[in-house]
Parts: sequence; C-alpha cells; structure tokens
Amino acid sequence: MNASQQHPERDRLEGVADAILVERAVDGDTAAFETLIRRHGPLMRAYTARIVGSMADADDVVQDAFHTAWRRLPELRDPAAVRPWLMRIASRLALTYLRRKPADVALPALEVALPADGQPENVAVRNAQLKALSVALDTLSEDQRRCWLLREVAELSYDDIAQEMEVPTATVRGKLARARASIYAQMEGWR
Amino acid sequence: MNENEPRTLNCGKTIEELSAYLAADRTPYDPSIEACPECLNALQGLTRVSQLFHDLITQDVTDLPAPRENWFEDIMTNIHREVRSGRSLPLPHPDKRVDLSLTEGAVLALIRSAGDIVPGLVIGTCHLKGNVEEPGAPVDVSVTASIVWNQPIPDATRTLRTHIYEALATHTALNVTSVNITIKDLHRALSDENKEN
Repeated sequence: MNASQQHPERDRLEGVADAILVERAVDGDTAAFETLIRRHGPLMRAYTARIVGSMADADDVVQDAFHTAWRRLPELRDPAAVRPWLMRIASRLALTYLRRKPADVALPALEVALPADGQPENVAVRNAQLKALSVALDTLSEDQRRCWLLREVAELSYDDIAQEMEVPTATVRGKLARARASIYAQMEGWR
Repeated sequence: MNENEPRTLNCGKTIEELSAYLAADRTPYDPSIEACPECLNALQGLTRVSQLFHDLITQDVTDLPAPRENWFEDIMTNIHREVRSGRSLPLPHPDKRVDLSLTEGAVLALIRSAGDIVPGLVIGTCHLKGNVEEPGAPVDVSVTASIVWNQPIPDATRTLRTHIYEALATHTALNVTSVNITIKDLHRALSDENKEN
C-alpha cells in the first residue's frame, strides 16, 4: 500500500516530534492531532482496557480522553510530554468510569492474546510468563491493580496517583508495596 | 489476607523495602542490600517482573484488536466541531456597508500551508503579535518549525519567510513588519526510514 499517495498531509507529519504536533494542534490543526491519536492511541487503548477490563468500554473512555485532550491542549505546559499527559487524562476518565459502574459487578479478567509465530519453545515460555503475570495482576485488589497500572504504565508519581484515586499518598505507597510483593510472590516460579 | 502480609527474606529485609530501593534507582547506595546475596537475588527478580510487565503491555498493544467502526471518525468529527477561531481580523472593503473579517485561526492555517510548500519543513506554532483587530497596526509574525536532517537551514528559512509574506499579502490586510522563525527541532523524513528497511 502506498500511503503517501493517499495521505500526503499525514505522511508529512509522521516523523515530526510530539512537541511540534502539539503546537500545531493548539493552533487548530486537526491533522496534527490526528497524527497524535495514531501515535499514542494504541498504548492508551491497551492500558485503559487493563484498567476497565473490557476493550469496548476502553474504546469509549479513550474517545472521551482524546476529546478532552483536544479542548485542554492549550493548558499543556510541556508539549514534549504529551504522552504522559494523555495517559493521565485516560487514567482519570477510566477511574471515573469505574466509579459510576455498580460496585457489585465484578470486572472480567482480560485474556492475553497469544501470538502463534516465532521460535516455538521461547515463545511458549514467554507466553506462559505473560499469562502468569496477567493472572497475578487479576488477583490483586482493584485498588492495588489500579495503583500498579497508574505507576507502571502511566508512570504517575505517588502524589499524582493519590490525587487521581482520591486517597492519601501513604495509602498509595502501601497499596503499591503490597501489589509488588504479591506479584513478586506469585511470579516466583517464573523468574 | 495472608498473601498481602509483608514478605520478609531470611536476612530481615522485606520485598516492600527492596521495591522502594529499586524505585529510587538504588540510591542512596545501601551496603546492607548490595552485599546481601538474598537481597540481590530479590532485586533481580523484581526487575524481571517489571520488564515482564512492560512486555505484557507491549504485547497488548501489538495484539490490539482494531477499534470499532467509526471510532476514529467520531473523535475527529467532535474535534472539528470545536474549531479554535481566535481573534477576528478585519478585511477592508470599498463598500462601507460591508463588514468583512477573517478569523485568526484561518490566518494561522494559511501560515502553516505556506510552510508546507517548503520541502522538509514543518511549522509548529504561529503567533501574530500586535493589535490585529486594528486595521494597519504593525504585526510581528513568529513561528517555530522542525526541519528534516541535512536540509540547509538558512535556505529553508529564507524560502519560508518569503512564502509567509506572500501568503499574508495576498489573503489578508495585515501590516506585517517582521517574520521571525525559530527552528526548534530536527526530524527524519519518512522516506529515509523506508530506505533503511
């Protein structure tokens, strides 16, 4: 497929740094924002799906996140740091979404898709490891799992996590420590 | 809640302590940890789990199903509804009863397209400094840009400046007194990456 013939504008912006795309988008360039969505959308969808537990719900949340991001883009102080900023918006909306959900509905465990290619033995071991980690994540309490995701994927600071989850920083520290110890213990056989 | 109890190693350190030490990039250096084989073993295990988790998310991204139909288009439609227009720039018209104006957003888009004519150059932000709502008031234009590696910067900025002056003279009534260009970044052309593959 020759994409350059179909989307000259998109291709032109493809290799350009986030900071420049953000500046264009702040000035009203929707094509620049489109490039940001294509660049960061996949990680945001994968991450949000791990938090809310379903791909369909994650897609709703991420749509909202981009819409919010477009409106609030002029407030972003460091345009180069757009990815953590987007992840933070997605985190906040995902947590809001979960708060609105009835508390007694258990979240379904997200299946890890296993690719069928590559070196069979290595792939099998690695997939088993990833599967074990996915299972270990699912055994955490909801709060612990959210803290872990906000810390490890969105790379929020302890204070930021506390703010997003509306709990004291000391509580976040405790939940993360317990989450790490629990995952570590469950992964003992796989390390 | 047995599995949530702090797990203590034989040497007395807990996994929580070691994980906090790791989170602090192993600083300040703690000899009681760094000289203890059991602690070093646990640190290695914690690092491995962290890497594995990174692999898990990477795999999630690779195996991500396509979003539902129109997912992308819905976002773009919403965004197009909220166009940033900015200030209103008057355009002179011989008939006094006709009130013509141009939005600042449209002028910024015009400047960006002037930049798009210059090969290898992509404009970032544009600012119109001055009272653009007052006809004839002096206006300074400043833009930032990114340029492709190996492109001679003076040639590109000279061409860009000419294009911006021309575009603004043709389509607006702005009294442009200067065009300032700051090259903020260098980027690789998409075709360069393709050549390497």
